[in-house]
Amino acid sequence: MTADQLHAHIEPIRHEFADPRSLVLPALKFAQTEKGHLTEADLAAVAEATGFSQAYVESVATFYDRLYLQPVGRRVVSVCVTLSCMLRGSDEVLEHVCDHLGLDHHGGNTADGAITVQEAQCLGACDRAPCIQVDAENSVGPLTPEDAARLVDELRDAPAPAELWR
Amino acid sequence: MPVMHSVYRHREAGAPLTDLAAYEAASGYVALKHALATMQPDEVLYQFHRSGLRGRGGAGFPMGRKASFLPKDSPMPAYVVCNADESEPGTFKDREIIEHNPFQLLEGIILAAYAVGSHRAYVYIRGEYEHQARVLDAAVARAREAGYLGDGVCGSAFDCDVTVYRGAGAYICGEETGLLESLEGKRGQPRLKPPFPAVAGLYGSPTLINNVETLSALPPIIDQGADWYAAIGPEKSPGTKIFSVSGHVLRPGNYEVVMGETTLRELVYDLAGGLRPGHAFKACWVGGSSVPVLGEEHLDTPLDYESLQAAGTFLGSGGCIVMDDSGCIVRASLRLAHFYRHESCGKCSPCREGTNWMEKILQRVVDGDGRIEDLELLESLFSRISGKTLCALADGAVAPIQSAIRLFRDDFVRVIEHGSPRPEPMTEAAVA
Repeated sequence: MTADQLHAHIEPIRHEFADPRSLVLPALKFAQTEKGHLTEADLAAVAEATGFSQAYVESVATFYDRLYLQPVGRRVVSVCVTLSCMLRGSDEVLEHVCDHLGLDHHGGNTADGAITVQEAQCLGACDRAPCIQVDAENSVGPLTPEDAARLVDELRDAPAPAELWR
Repeated sequence: MPVMHSVYRHREAGAPLTDLAAYEAASGYVALKHALATMQPDEVLYQFHRSGLRGRGGAGFPMGRKASFLPKDSPMPAYVVCNADESEPGTFKDREIIEHNPFQLLEGIILAAYAVGSHRAYVYIRGEYEHQARVLDAAVARAREAGYLGDGVCGSAFDCDVTVYRGAGAYICGEETGLLESLEGKRGQPRLKPPFPAVAGLYGSPTLINNVETLSALPPIIDQGADWYAAIGPEKSPGTKIFSVSGHVLRPGNYEVVMGETTLRELVYDLAGGLRPGHAFKACWVGGSSVPVLGEEHLDTPLDYESLQAAGTFLGSGGCIVMDDSGCIVRASLRLAHFYRHESCGKCSPCREGTNWMEKILQRVVDGDGRIEDLELLESLFSRISGKTLCALADGAVAPIQSAIRLFRDDFVRVIEHGSPRPEPMTEAAVA
């Protein structure tokens, strides 16, 4: 993403913060919506648009789970594995989805770049356990392992949204 | 069956109040108009204090007292920050309030801002709640359009606006100073306290930080009076509390109960549908996962701050995770250790290294490579982690595991000696 695009995104909200440093996180999140992860060039653009160094911007980005500094799939599937979901079968869901996509049980990216599967810590949807979150969409569940595999297949076939909020 | 009593208007109405007109029809913004027209900020603050409302995010600190700690003579602007980083395992009550009742939350935020003289408030919401953040964005825009936010709130001389700020995936940003760091555009690592946020919070300014459920309780407190609220439940734990119940129960969900009038047994069996036939209660983490675990002998504990503390645990966030006898306490403890190891921000060595070792030791126990001395090793580790860090994450990591070893030592010994096959998960659908 270009610094100009980022500038256009953060200028309207600049007055809401006493310190422009607060714009770094919104800028990083928006920059990521283009490719679904952050490249070196994206970090440089965030640095230019916010006025902070690229090293600083990267130090912030590395702190947060949902900012990706390595390429991820067109869609990211987060399988919650925390206690409530575990008691309801999240390990079985994660393993089945990974088997279905030919990934090891910790998840990863499919070879064609379509899907990333990752384990997630509590998504705040324990009433729907076991639950899954696609990108930053509302978490869904409860899902059987087969439901989850079907969901992933549907994601693979559907076009990705224009903005990849994760 | 416990008597239902509702402070949260979408629960009273039995329907979502996402439409402003629907919220207004449910007494929405009556309190705000009344306060702005007839009460001085100090009087509003006094009502918060008098209500006895305690923070619903986990710590249970009296809300009015916290608000009164903001210095009145500061040259810096004051801020109100709503903690919507709901990430405590087992907790999903704030999600419901935001999704179904965003205007009550906003009204509470505006009342709090008026009371402490703040003109800018922030809702810091976890990145995973993008859907809920959009609900809030829309509610903020609608409230502004209707004159409840912006310059001259409800035609008064009081200006107030709200910014919804998204996190990006970090449990530690629910810790109030970690949250402030993140909101300031930094890595979300907690600060050394004091100074507390009330004195030097956001951008070094006096800052009031409260949880979604806490702030949402303020409109009814002003509307129906602090004395009305204070009279609900026990003197030291007044009001209602929303418990999120999950795990091995037949009807997982959010249940609002009057403090002290409902027991854990009633919450689990009457409200949350109980367990599957043929299964017995094993364990429960009643206040989210960062609290000592309870066993069957604690089921008759009333749900309020004091009673739960007397039973050896904490009310915490009210995220009540229930496990029946099909579950393995050692595997459950390992899963929690994994969570805290993953979420430790890395700033304090005892937590960064200690949570790592807790997970490693419990993993080898579950893998069948444990030794009986591992239990003493874990004990010695706990004492090197707990109380040795800047924030409460480390204490929260130790509490459920240390208590599990004490309460269910036989299970740990059995797993060390005989291993632990992975239990069958519960797959029964929720009952209506």
